[in-house]
Amino acid sequence: MNPEALLACLTTPACIVTQVSAGMIIGMLIFLVASGVTLIFGVLKVVNFTHGSFYMLGVYFALTAYGLTGSYAVSLLAGAIGVGLFGVVFERFFMSKVYNADVLMQLLVCYAFILILDDVVKTVWGGDFLKMGMPEEFALPPIKVWDGFVPPFYAFLTVFAVLIAVLVAALLGLTRFGKIVRAAAVNRQMVSVLGINTSLVYALIFGLGSVLAGLAGALAAPVRSAVPGMGFDILIESFIVTVIGGMGSMGGAFIAAIGIGLIRSFGTIGFPLATEGVMFAIMAIVLLIKPTGLFGRRAA
Amino acid sequence: MTARLAITGLMKRFGGVVATDNVTLDFAPGSLTAIIGPNGAGKTTFFNLITGKLKPDGGEIRLDGVDISGQTQSEIVRRGIGRAFQVASIFPRFTVEDALTAAVLTHRQQTSSMLRRFPLPDAASRAREIMALVGLERVGKTPSRYLSHGDQKLLDIALALALEPKVLLLDEPTAGMGPEERWQMIERVQRLWSEVGMTLVFIEHDMDIVFKIAQTIRVLRYGKVLAEGTPDEIRSNEAVIEAYLGTSLEEPA
Amino acid sequence: MTARLEVLAGVVLGALVVALTLAFGDKALLDVLMRLAIFGLLALSLNILVGYTGLVSFGHAMFFGLGAYSFGLLMQSGAVSIPSAALITLVVACIWGGVVGTFCIRLDDIYFSFLTLAFQMLLYSIIIGWVSLTGGDQGLMGGIPRPPFLGINLAEPRQLFVLIVVVFVVCVLAIRQIVQSPFGFALRMIRDNAERARFLGLPVQRYKLIAFVLSGFFGSVSGILMSLYVSGAYPNFAFWSMSGDAIFMIILGGLTVFLGPLVGAAVFLLLNDNITRLTEHHGIVMGVVLLAIVLGMRKGFLDVLDEWWQARASRAEARAGGDRQ
Repeated sequence: MNPEALLACLTTPACIVTQVSAGMIIGMLIFLVASGVTLIFGVLKVVNFTHGSFYMLGVYFALTAYGLTGSYAVSLLAGAIGVGLFGVVFERFFMSKVYNADVLMQLLVCYAFILILDDVVKTVWGGDFLKMGMPEEFALPPIKVWDGFVPPFYAFLTVFAVLIAVLVAALLGLTRFGKIVRAAAVNRQMVSVLGINTSLVYALIFGLGSVLAGLAGALAAPVRSAVPGMGFDILIESFIVTVIGGMGSMGGAFIAAIGIGLIRSFGTIGFPLATEGVMFAIMAIVLLIKPTGLFGRRAA
Repeated sequence: MTARLAITGLMKRFGGVVATDNVTLDFAPGSLTAIIGPNGAGKTTFFNLITGKLKPDGGEIRLDGVDISGQTQSEIVRRGIGRAFQVASIFPRFTVEDALTAAVLTHRQQTSSMLRRFPLPDAASRAREIMALVGLERVGKTPSRYLSHGDQKLLDIALALALEPKVLLLDEPTAGMGPEERWQMIERVQRLWSEVGMTLVFIEHDMDIVFKIAQTIRVLRYGKVLAEGTPDEIRSNEAVIEAYLGTSLEEPA
Repeated sequence: MTARLEVLAGVVLGALVVALTLAFGDKALLDVLMRLAIFGLLALSLNILVGYTGLVSFGHAMFFGLGAYSFGLLMQSGAVSIPSAALITLVVACIWGGVVGTFCIRLDDIYFSFLTLAFQMLLYSIIIGWVSLTGGDQGLMGGIPRPPFLGINLAEPRQLFVLIVVVFVVCVLAIRQIVQSPFGFALRMIRDNAERARFLGLPVQRYKLIAFVLSGFFGSVSGILMSLYVSGAYPNFAFWSMSGDAIFMIILGGLTVFLGPLVGAAVFLLLNDNITRLTEHHGIVMGVVLLAIVLGMRKGFLDVLDEWWQARASRAEARAGGDRQ
């Protein structure tokens, strides 16, 4: 516990800028994973427990692509598309078999894949920590904001994640595809009767959710070390964010993710051992006061 | 005679739609009443309000003179209003006998014991009585999920009976059944009513059944009471014929 | 089977296993049986929630870890005897279960699973983070002292074995009694149709919470036994993969048959040990086995048998004049 250090930081603009920018990238990564989980749950009504592993795959795909091409743009694409395709395959051949089974079966399919993917990653990439390092594209002088400095990649990550969020929102809110998806979320049979291939819609949504996890992984690659099993923490955090923000609410998840990111970031200065505890405490309080989350709609 | 169940000025709105509009109805002790009305007339909503599944926006629901509106479902159940559901709501993996025994135990608040063994003999014999009453003893050892559709509906009613209700609400007891099965079901319901002597209210779409067995009929439309009376009165009620039943009643039932 | 017969069977079987093992068994067999008892109890205690109440907890290892650490720390303090350390640990586990359960049961289905998982990860991160108390990722160092009490010396492997079997038998009989009691059937009602149970007047939330605490209680007993067995406590006791393994055991054996989880634990340990011996790709093999079971049978081995038996029995009843159509 170090309240003096926290106070000192909060009164120093440079420190605030540094911690806020660090908090924002933590929050944005959590948000991307959480929005994938939320999107899939909203339409398919299953929780993809493997989403953290998808994030991990994104990191490794990005690492390999960067190693091969030296281009960060390519590694972003590799993370997004690679994981997206994997998600579609996973949905078609495995998850779709247990849509009508109970929660236990869905959970076990995911658990099996968590075991398998961690092991596969260990086999292919080894069990040691791997680092991408800062891509050349971002080897630029830091941006001066107020009295502090923000690494250009941090700024890119934050803006890019927000952009992705806006794009997904637009896709779901404004396009014909979005209309179909929203209708399928409410009544799959009806949409199916109208001659729309709902299995395809489901696969696409699962793929889109996976793309978000893969992107998060690729975005994390320059700033995180890769190690098998790394997906689990972000899965838990993304869940906490969905509970606090309100299940099914992308906006809620966004705000909660930023909150959690800032708590983690400032927490490392003020209460390094208690950051987890504070996250859980917030979730517990939200659950007690408003079980549907801050922005969740009450179920009918 | 004072009413067992007296409903006064009951209101329920969903957004802008008034689902139950100032409904005032009395149900005498031991009466057998059918509630009819076109789809969307607010029949199931009416049941949901009485049983506390929905909170009314206004009005009173009095059971033996005590206002129960606004109480929780379990309080209302304990006070003596039982209900069977439109889609049979049962315990799929329980055998018929176990399900009824468990329901009886729940009603008697004997489920908290961890030291005794299920089934307690008292509750089990009561369960068998109920099975005999509704005619389920032939499938007592069958897991509920293997029962025929009709038997599942019967079990649902039997579960409600385990609570020894003063008033029993049946939401379309014959829904989804073939013609023959319907009549078997309705004969059982009628016998049940005459043997147990409780107040029975049922929602039904099959007019043959309604006009054959109900003592009184209440017609709902757009959430309002359109008419009430004996089958003969309803048959000749201009408003009913015009608004809902059309000419089909002119034909012999 | 009546309660008395079950107790008799349990005691006789337990005594038989103990006698035969001590007479003919070697150290390896003692080890296998002790691990089976510990993990069997873990799986059986979890099945109170999963199989009987229909609540899929993915955080059951929190009780396993809590039991092991709390007991281990108390013993290392040197201030209390083994029975009082165990007693204090169980009280702590019940309080933890009560508090965590109050939150978890507010959510249904998959969210319940996720929330239990999250609370478990909270405990895990405390264990990892609070190095001065728990030894962090090294676990409780220096072993757990096992001073003799009431003439029992648990430092002696054969006495430890007897104690573990006795505690196991007592706990299994207790769990059996609970699930066969009126309370146990109330839990089954919640599992089958919580809405209907509520409408019959059952205080569903309260019963869920009691089930949660009970399950945690027996889970932490297995944690205590584990810390005695390995003479230590390690963070992986409270890790999510331990919870996953416990669910794995349940599904391997079957969740509708009382002893299913125990059978599952036996199969799991057998698989686990052999796979570890034969290949490095432990996760891949276990994952594929799990997928095969889930997608192939959709239930455990004993569930399949039980289902077949029930279907046969009800067909027989139908033939006996049940079906009138």
